Amino acid sequence: MLTEREAKKICDTLLKLTKADDAVVSVRESVQSNQRFAANAFTTNGSSRERSFSVTMWIDKRQGSASGTEFDEAALRRAVEQAEHLAKLSPPDVEYLPTLGPQKYKPVKGYAGKTAELSPAWRAKQIGRILDECEDAKVVGAGLFRSGAFLSASATRNGNFEFERSTSADLSITARTPDGMSSGYGLHDHFDVEKLDVGGVSRRAIKKALTGQDAQKLAPGIYPVILEPQAVSDILGFFNGAFNARNADEGRSPMSAPGGKTQLGQAVFDSKINFYSDPWHPELPGSQSAQDGLPAEKLYLVRGGVVENLITSRFWAQKTGKQPTPGPVNSILESTGPTNSLDEMIAASDRALLVTRLWYIRMVSPRTQLLTGLTRDGVWLVENGKIRNPVRNFRFNQSVMQMLAPGNVEMIGKPVRTGGLFPALKLKEFTFSSESEAV
Amino acid sequence: MKVTRRGFLKTAGLTVAGMAATRWDIDAAVHEPWLNSATKNELADIAINLAKKLGATYGDIRINRYRTERISTRERQVQGVALNQTFGFGVRVLVKGSWGFAASSEVTAREVQRVTREAVEIAKANASRQRKPVQFLDVPGVKANWGSQFEQDPFDISIEQKIETLMKINEAALLVSGVAFVNSSMAWVNEQKFYASTDGSRIEQYIIRGQPGFTVTAVDRAAGDFQTRSSLGGPQGMGYEYVRNHDWVKEAAQAGEEAVMKLKAKPVEPGKYDLVLHPSHLWLTIHESVGHSTELDRALWWEANYAGTSFITPDKTGKLQFGSKMVNFFADRTQPAGLATVGYDDEGVAGQKWYLVKDGVFVDWQTTRDLAPLIGRKQSYGCLHAQSWSDVPFPRMPNVSLEPGKGDASLDQIVSGVDKGILIYGNGSFSIDQQRYNFQFGGQTFWEIKQGKITGMLRDVAYQSRTTDFWNSCDGLGGQSTYALGGALNDGKGEPSQSNAVSHGCPAARFRKVNVLNTDSKGGAATAGAHVC
Repeated sequence: MLTEREAKKICDTLLKLTKADDAVVSVRESVQSNQRFAANAFTTNGSSRERSFSVTMWIDKRQGSASGTEFDEAALRRAVEQAEHLAKLSPPDVEYLPTLGPQKYKPVKGYAGKTAELSPAWRAKQIGRILDECEDAKVVGAGLFRSGAFLSASATRNGNFEFERSTSADLSITARTPDGMSSGYGLHDHFDVEKLDVGGVSRRAIKKALTGQDAQKLAPGIYPVILEPQAVSDILGFFNGAFNARNADEGRSPMSAPGGKTQLGQAVFDSKINFYSDPWHPELPGSQSAQDGLPAEKLYLVRGGVVENLITSRFWAQKTGKQPTPGPVNSILESTGPTNSLDEMIAASDRALLVTRLWYIRMVSPRTQLLTGLTRDGVWLVENGKIRNPVRNFRFNQSVMQMLAPGNVEMIGKPVRTGGLFPALKLKEFTFSSESEAV
Repeated sequence: MKVTRRGFLKTAGLTVAGMAATRWDIDAAVHEPWLNSATKNELADIAINLAKKLGATYGDIRINRYRTERISTRERQVQGVALNQTFGFGVRVLVKGSWGFAASSEVTAREVQRVTREAVEIAKANASRQRKPVQFLDVPGVKANWGSQFEQDPFDISIEQKIETLMKINEAALLVSGVAFVNSSMAWVNEQKFYASTDGSRIEQYIIRGQPGFTVTAVDRAAGDFQTRSSLGGPQGMGYEYVRNHDWVKEAAQAGEEAVMKLKAKPVEPGKYDLVLHPSHLWLTIHESVGHSTELDRALWWEANYAGTSFITPDKTGKLQFGSKMVNFFADRTQPAGLATVGYDDEGVAGQKWYLVKDGVFVDWQTTRDLAPLIGRKQSYGCLHAQSWSDVPFPRMPNVSLEPGKGDASLDQIVSGVDKGILIYGNGSFSIDQQRYNFQFGGQTFWEIKQGKITGMLRDVAYQSRTTDFWNSCDGLGGQSTYALGGALNDGKGEPSQSNAVSHGCPAARFRKVNVLNTDSKGGAATAGAHVC
């Protein structure tokens, strides 16, 4: 991959080529590989190297952008000319703000050399073991093993330059019983492949498939639930978007309040909830830079149930006399107090549904953050503090605002890495609207 | 439409006399070497010969350029004009019954050699632990040039003209009292694809797709409420004539009126209703419940870890009563203006048309060269596709469409047969389970039907059903005059997820006694009859 010096040289070349008043240029590179398996066999895979650049510029506040994947000087020059051509044709960008001058970044530790250098033979060996485990357990395995190394560099006409490298690895497995009547799932991701719990993922998926057999029908309705961390990650994966300050001010957001106000400073959520972003979290490193290259900072969107920050763009901050928000760059949900284990949540439930995972989640009402979707890969009925039996899947129609509302969050677990960092949640009410016979 | 080599180059961006030079004209001139078939064939020879030498029983190389142009606006301002392109190649090999795929954005002879060796290395690493060697159909080699049918290449239209059109759309919406915001955009895609294989194929394709669109928002600040209405015209496999031929400005004004109307519309009473679904809505229901359930890779559990499997299994072929007898679905990679319309798929199989559901019975699958043998077929229907040169191709959906009714019933005639029902336009929220049984769909506008007449607007409507219950409840199909094509540029499937562009044609259609929900969750439960358990 490119070194910092090489990336800077390309950025400098792009900036030198443009005659525009202002510009931001970037270079990206990725080296990625993946291997899929299904029906207990190796299926497709891919390995790719891609290097790309982009240039956005302003001439008399008129904006144009272009990008490409060819790096000879003629190709770079051509892209710059194309962006200039577009800028000259565009009307003035009324939201233009000068690009950032030099910034100071606190580096993030999200790169692990071994993750960037996985060999096909090593990966094939891991998947071979997973398939052995599936065959031994008499289940049918499918999954994805993926890893990659990523580089990004950007520079502005006004003197800022930043360079960042990261890696990622993830493994997900679905195990199904051969009769197709039960399914289990496991996922783990990390920036360091040596911390990837390969054995744990396959054990979890296989165990869920085997213990989820003979699922009973249960009527849909409003149930107390225990959402495992994966299910919480699934339903809150896009929740950052609800905190957009401009949408809230414009009256088209769940953070809008009647009379043209917003929910900023209001105790909208349960007092046990903290929802924040932390670029330097050791388990979930984010990026060193937030919007437009602003140095990222730890940022609470919700602290103790109170909406502490809305996400304000540089333009909207200038227009409304506020500060632009240095994040979020990742998503972490945690308890303000002591946490509870999944076993403690089960033991504390008179009657509840234990949910592994949620699927095909879509926004039904952006105003109320009402989402619909389905349970998948294991739902169990809990009664009198014990898991009683597996039940069939449901469709849910649930407002996230109500899900996290004061009084609805009874217990919170320890956050685990499942895309973001999310804990298990024990909730007083969750709305299942119909049964799904899908497995 | 077959195009000559000369025509292909001209269409690919060389300056057209009398027209202002666009950036792509500059681009094509500089990149003439890469539009040169001889050069691509030389690289192909390197990959194919090396793959064979290293033990591949099959190998292909795709050398592709993708151009996209996107203009986005809000109210009276342009938010961005971006022109992006990505160029590179991918090599796929089959060695000892296992696949290997590698790709690079550095298009040189040396890199083609490195990538081919890497693809073979991956395949060999997997072959040593493979349980079920891939079965792969032979096909004859093909030498062809193919291009989308379009009247006007959108990349030849000036940016000014496109911005002017978007501004007119915005202005029409903003003129409506009560409209607070409008966002509009145009996205154009051009794929220039070259494919060569050990079969002896050498295929070049030039594909155009486009998506103009807008969303109008009306806000009631006093009540803390807002409603949106998006354009009903979706993406098409058409050129700039799509912008000229659809009255976007008129539709924006209508959308503004309807967004404001939605704020005060009557909330729907949950319950059973007969539904009349306009093609601007029904295409998405077809996509989710028919298009995906008839993918053979899903039925064989190849997608079990992400997109899911299917409620249809191979033993149900020719037996499953998928819908009522009037229901006929066909798959078609040759459909005019179809987003999935191609000359050839990504393993050299020609585009074709076939029935998936005939007279209500499920009769056939979507297949590729490594899927078809698994159900005893001797030919592929040509459904292999990759979103980019950098991604491995895998089974993707062709255009899947519902045939119009045999008469030529109008929308009004379909509505007239309903005592208590709802007419739905446009696609809204959508969700379906991983085996394609249980689905829920919203829409853009909802119109109450009483005794065969439309009586007013409803809001907060979504319906839930089960795929075969739903299609078996179909008892009215509009005729050819109601038929229209909807679709999406971004159908996601696979891991890592890839996008596929796909169209679905359909007439207006009627469905009996479908479960309708009220989606306003102010009170807590969002559904009909939700109870605490």
